[in-house]
Amino acid sequence: MMSRALALSVIVPVRNSGSFLTEVLEAIRASELPSNTYEIIVVDDGSTDASVSVAARYADTIVRLSGPGAGPAYARNRGVELAHGEIVAFIDSDVVVRPSTLPRMLDMLGERPEIAAVSASHNEISGASNFVSQYWNLLLRFGEQRHAGRCAHFVPGCGAIRRNVLVAAGMYDEWRFEIACLENVELGQRLLGAGHGVLLSSELMVTHLKRWNLVSVCQEVWRRSRLLARSLGYLRMSSAVPSEVVFTLSRALTPAIAILATLTLAAAFLPSPHAIAKGSIALSALILSNLPVHRFYARMRGLGFAIVSAPVHIFVQIISAVALCTGWILRDVFGDLTPDATTQAYSEVGLEIWPPVRRRV
Amino acid sequence: MFRAELNDLLNWTASSPRFDQAGASAGAESLAQERERVGERSARRRLTPRKSLVVVLPDNHVVSPELVAERLPSTGDDETVDVIVACAGQPINLGVLQRRVHDLQVLLAPSGTSVEKLRELAIMQAPGDIVTLLSGAPRQCDDA
Repeated sequence: MMSRALALSVIVPVRNSGSFLTEVLEAIRASELPSNTYEIIVVDDGSTDASVSVAARYADTIVRLSGPGAGPAYARNRGVELAHGEIVAFIDSDVVVRPSTLPRMLDMLGERPEIAAVSASHNEISGASNFVSQYWNLLLRFGEQRHAGRCAHFVPGCGAIRRNVLVAAGMYDEWRFEIACLENVELGQRLLGAGHGVLLSSELMVTHLKRWNLVSVCQEVWRRSRLLARSLGYLRMSSAVPSEVVFTLSRALTPAIAILATLTLAAAFLPSPHAIAKGSIALSALILSNLPVHRFYARMRGLGFAIVSAPVHIFVQIISAVALCTGWILRDVFGDLTPDATTQAYSEVGLEIWPPVRRRV
Repeated sequence: MFRAELNDLLNWTASSPRFDQAGASAGAESLAQERERVGERSARRRLTPRKSLVVVLPDNHVVSPELVAERLPSTGDDETVDVIVACAGQPINLGVLQRRVHDLQVLLAPSGTSVEKLRELAIMQAPGDIVTLLSGAPRQCDDA
């Protein structure tokens, strides 16, 4: 098979994303790029809905992975193995790009050879209009704005990277990151460690369509925080990664403050003449420690939104603090995450099969 | 997720290799058994992905046989690719394509079927783990 050189390969990992996929792929096809300079590779990670049919309308290549779902890190790596582009862009199956997003990414990488990867940040307006989606979208936007520029974080959702750099770095860590979470953070840190620049652009914005509710946000925060503590090590990451992006706490000291506040708040319910005072102190400490976030909410959506989001944010922080502690305990007791025994055995034997066994970086 | 984590924490003493030597040797045995099972299972699994090439030809569209041949393995390769041509109406240069590609599968859809619909139909028929989709170009006047 002859190899075709292209400027860009757009890789979209998909799992049961039929409802968003048309909009996502149409937006990619509407990019201000000549159609013969890029390709779209959709990697279907065992969808049971109509994702493959939808993908077929727009994609140049479709990879069908069977099984229960190997995760986006694994799916993206399978896409990279088939990519012909010098630059590889990863776009999540709920992310809508603007017509100028991909060309701007190519320009940035062309103009700045010291930069190996560039990512877009969250649009101020979320695709879903409910309160929790807006709260979460703005929280991530806040973190990205504060840490825009060169950083150690290849933002999930929409990012472009030089293919040769990605391959040399060992691609995504599919061994540890079976669930969608911090694989981009880990990759960003590896790229930085190898001396490559990673740029987070605040001018490039993409819209996330996923609708969040309080339960799904808490689950996401739980997973991120636990994985952060268990697999990446909070102290190691906090210096290099925007904390709002990794989990929801806005300052490095906030986990400690959140735990103290929770304990104080619990103590406030004990019979005591100073119970209200104790509770007020704890709540004030939490709110003050997150003042920049609340001010950002007020600026973006008004005072009412900021006031309503304050208790939600405190609740989410408490979840994050507990998850961090859980992650630390799990790391200490069980060690880092590893795949199941079957995967490990396949990997040790070193068999070449399809779909491939998850690889170690 | 919460419940699974809680169970992990509650059960850690029973399964932690650090605190339970018996658990550790049981874990090693299980890995060894798994390795044996992997050896047996691997004989039944495919070693390489199956590949398909879908060529989509709406009304009055053609594809150059050279372009199709470009996407196929060269003569020396062991790799095989299933080729499916999905056409709306009567295909124009199918004979030329059939001479270049053996075992061509043709899907005929009614005239006027859109590219998107043809692609959808073809992907359902394509058996490959990796499917490449190639669209034809509008027929030029001198092709007629």
